Formats: sequence, structure tokens, C-alpha cells
Amino acid sequence: MSAIQTASDRAPWTTTSAAPWISEDWLSVVIGLFIFVLALAVLANVDLIGWVVTTSVWSNLGQALGTASKAYAPLGGAGALIATYLALLALLSAAALALKSDVKKFALAFTVVFWIAYASWVVGSYANFAAVTPADLQKFGISWSLKLTNEGGFIFALIAGLIIANVFPRFAETIKDAIRPELYIKIAIVILGGFFAVTAAGKLNLASSLLLRGIAAIIEAYLIYWAVVYFVARKWFGFNREWAAPLASGISICGVSAAIATGGAIRARPIIPVLVSSLVVVFAVVEVLILPFLAQTFLWHEPLVAGAWMGLAIKTDGAAVAGGGITESLILAKSAAEGIKYQPGWILGTTATVKVFIDIFIGIWAFVLGYIWTNHINVTRDKARIAEIWERFPKFILGFVVTFLVGLYLALGTPADVAAKVPAAIGEANTFRVIFFILTFFSIGVLSNFKKLWQEGVGKLAAVYVVSLFGFVIWVGLLISWLFFSGVKPPLAS
Amino acid sequence: MPQPTDIRTELAKAPYEPLLPVEKKLIAWSLGTGLVLLVVLAIVNHFVPASF
Repeated sequence: MSAIQTASDRAPWTTTSAAPWISEDWLSVVIGLFIFVLALAVLANVDLIGWVVTTSVWSNLGQALGTASKAYAPLGGAGALIATYLALLALLSAAALALKSDVKKFALAFTVVFWIAYASWVVGSYANFAAVTPADLQKFGISWSLKLTNEGGFIFALIAGLIIANVFPRFAETIKDAIRPELYIKIAIVILGGFFAVTAAGKLNLASSLLLRGIAAIIEAYLIYWAVVYFVARKWFGFNREWAAPLASGISICGVSAAIATGGAIRARPIIPVLVSSLVVVFAVVEVLILPFLAQTFLWHEPLVAGAWMGLAIKTDGAAVAGGGITESLILAKSAAEGIKYQPGWILGTTATVKVFIDIFIGIWAFVLGYIWTNHINVTRDKARIAEIWERFPKFILGFVVTFLVGLYLALGTPADVAAKVPAAIGEANTFRVIFFILTFFSIGVLSNFKKLWQEGVGKLAAVYVVSLFGFVIWVGLLISWLFFSGVKPPLAS
Repeated sequence: MPQPTDIRTELAKAPYEPLLPVEKKLIAWSLGTGLVLLVVLAIVNHFVPASF
């Protein structure tokens, strides 16, 4: 099978000829808000989703799983896991139906995806992998640990996906209906808005400072990254415009969505951004396996620089935000070992903020390119329209903004007895967010068949990527992150 | 059903296109604006530190 077929197969969920009545983008908003609203029932003393499964660091498997809320503790870890699986199966099967997908095929594939992905997460929480502090080592009666924290389970999920993609490609093909990293991460980002709001509520000045710095960093990334990568692709590697523009957007801005938006804007053949997207996913995997550990080693004393760097350097929303999650847990662990206990949520919040701002500008940048292309390069009657900015605007960002504002209002604008319940309510939604992260990591791994891409002649595209990413994007991203975020530390945990 | 296409073949078919003046202008303006803004924003950032 060619890479083009493979990539095309991956793109749509839709299997019938009729168009679905809702886009995947809007669907992620609906699902994310649905979970968020259910979680808020806690404010009315009704615990609707407290049964969702959560995993602790473990040395005895029987004690690994539990429920997010103590109210559901009698359900037990295994019961919580089964309840979570059934709830997600029902919810996402309904989503598949809305997208006019084959629900039966999806349900079967999702079953496999969920159990393998969550099993990887549980393995990652094993004490010898995840325990961090000397007190933890003593508690579990172990003498060593990789100190990956339990969020190292994301890496295990990614590796499980990579093994399936590269060692069992036929099996990967059979579960492709549920391999939807973009959908999973968008749902997670919608939920993340509420979590970030609760984190930010205690330090509003710092949060607004981060937002302003995020905007500055993004303007820089667009203007500098894109121009250089486009020049490299055109001048050094001889790509024509139809290839170079989506490639530059894919490498420099935000992977898959930017490549597709740019391809549409310059009226490129649809197949080109799809191919670029395949490559973006593969490189995002490489980055997410390397950069968080580099950040832990060299940037642990500048946590927010590390968070912003993940947002600027790792392409694709899924890998970047999840990479921010790993970076946060690694840096918090290292800081804790040095006696500094930062409040959780700020590093991941910084990565997500940077990534969300990048996404906001995709439509505008695509319009600028579309205007130049359709008026000055390939002059055509099919001119770029202002309405395209909205058409290409990633709608899941609206979900993020809504949950952020609602979360902020609930934490700051309600009576003390209500506000006191907000962290617990958002915490339950956040447990689902973690599960969607796990599904994202696993899915990204399954999409990354290195051998197949190489065999099908991706070498020249990959060369531009390697030169641009490792020779330029990563380091300029680090410089910009340093310029705007150095010296800004997360609050200390009380 | 569309025929499978190989990336190598697709790239080989792509014609060579020299950089047009409008592309050079796009690159130069984008990079120039980015670098100038970088300096300006870095200065602003220095004098307006993050507040806690």
C-alpha cells in the first residue's frame, strides 16, 4: 500500500457518500463540553462521573486502579475501568454515528485501542518506572526507579503504538477506525480549559502575563519560522510552491491542521498536505521521545521556558500538549527532588496556551497566503475569501475558551461554598482528559510506520524536515521561549 | 477509486519553479517583521516583567 493511500485512509472517518452533519472539530467541542458539564454536577452535590478510573503508582497491581471520587470507591478499580470503557465506548460510538462512520467497526477497533492504551498507562505507573522521591521508593520497598512519574505512562502508550505500527502493520490496519489522535486531543484540550482555569484562578496576574507572552511568542514563530522553512524548501531542496507552502506550514506552525489549511488556501491538490501530515506525525513522535527529557535535564530550573518550548517545537496539537504533560511531570519530579515543590498545571498550561494561540492564527495565516497565491502567483477566479478565516478556524479552541471562562467564573465569582467544590468537579473531568491523552499517544504511535514511509520515498521531504526542525525550529523555539518566559516561575505548592 | 501514488513519483513530476519576486518579498517581509518585532517585544518584555 502506498503512503498516499495510507494517509488518505487515515484522514476521514466517514465511510458513506453522504456528508456528516457535524465536523470532527465541532464534535470534539460537543464531547468535551458534555464531560465538563457532567463534572460540574458536583457543584450541586450530584456526582455523575466520579466513577471514572484513575491509576496510582503501584507495586501491587491490585492497588493500581481506583475511582476518581471516593463516593464510588465501592465500585473498585476493575469496576471503574470497565465503567470507563463502557462510557467512552458509548460516547465515541455515538460520535462515530454522527460522523456517518461504520459504528460496529469503530466499536471493535476502539475496544482494542482502549485496552492496549490503558494497559500501557498502567504499566507506566509501575513503581520501578514511576516512583520519584526517596519517600516513594521507601513506601514501595524498592531501591531504584526510572523516576518517569506516572505520566511516563504516556511514553509507554506511544511505544506500544509504535510497536504495533512497525512490527504488526496488519494489526494496525485492523484498528485504524479508532486511531483518531486529532479527535482525542481536541476533546482533551476542551476539558483542559477548565483545568487551566482552576490553576490560573489563584494567580490571575501570572496567568495573564503568560497569555501575553504566549501571543508574542506565537507572532514570532509564525513570521520567522515560516519564512525560513519556505526558503529552505524552495531554494535548497528545489520543491515547487505547491509542495513548499504546505511543508513550511506543517514544519513551522502546527503540523497537520496548518498543512491542510495552507494546502486549501493556495489551492494545492489535497493529497499534498495529507502526505506532509504523515511526515509531521512521525517527527512529532521523535520529538516527544526526546525533548521532554532534554527539558528535564537542562531546563528544570526554568519550568515555563520548558513548557513554552514544547508548544513551539513539537508539531501537532496532540504531541505538543501531551509532550507538555510529560515535561511537567518530569520537571516537577526533578524540582521536588531538589526540594522545590511547584504547583502542578502551570507548565502544561503554558504549553497549551502557546499551542492554542498558534491554532488561532492558522486561519489568518492561511488567508494571507491564499490572498498572495490567488492574486499574485497562480492568478485565478477562485480568490481567497475573508470567510475562509472562519472556515479554517479550529473550532475546538472555542470549547477551550468556554471551559476556561466558566471554570474561572466558578472559581472566582461564586460563593465560597460553591467555589470550594470547583477543583474536585474539574478534577473529575481532568481524569477523562488524561485518558484522552493516553488514547492520543497510542494513536500517534500507531500512525507512525517509519519503514513504510521511508520505502515510499519520503526521504527528500524528511530531509527538509530534519534540516529545518533540528537545525532551526527547535533552537529558535528555545530562544524565543527563553526570551519571553525565563525568570517566570510557577507558584510554589502550598 | 484513485490509483495509489508514490511520493517519490509525485516529487519527480513536480516541475522546477524559480523563486518569484513576490515570494522573495513574502519571505523578506515576514522575516524582517519577525526580527524587528522580536527585538521590540524582547525590550517590552524586559521592562514589563511578569507579575505574580
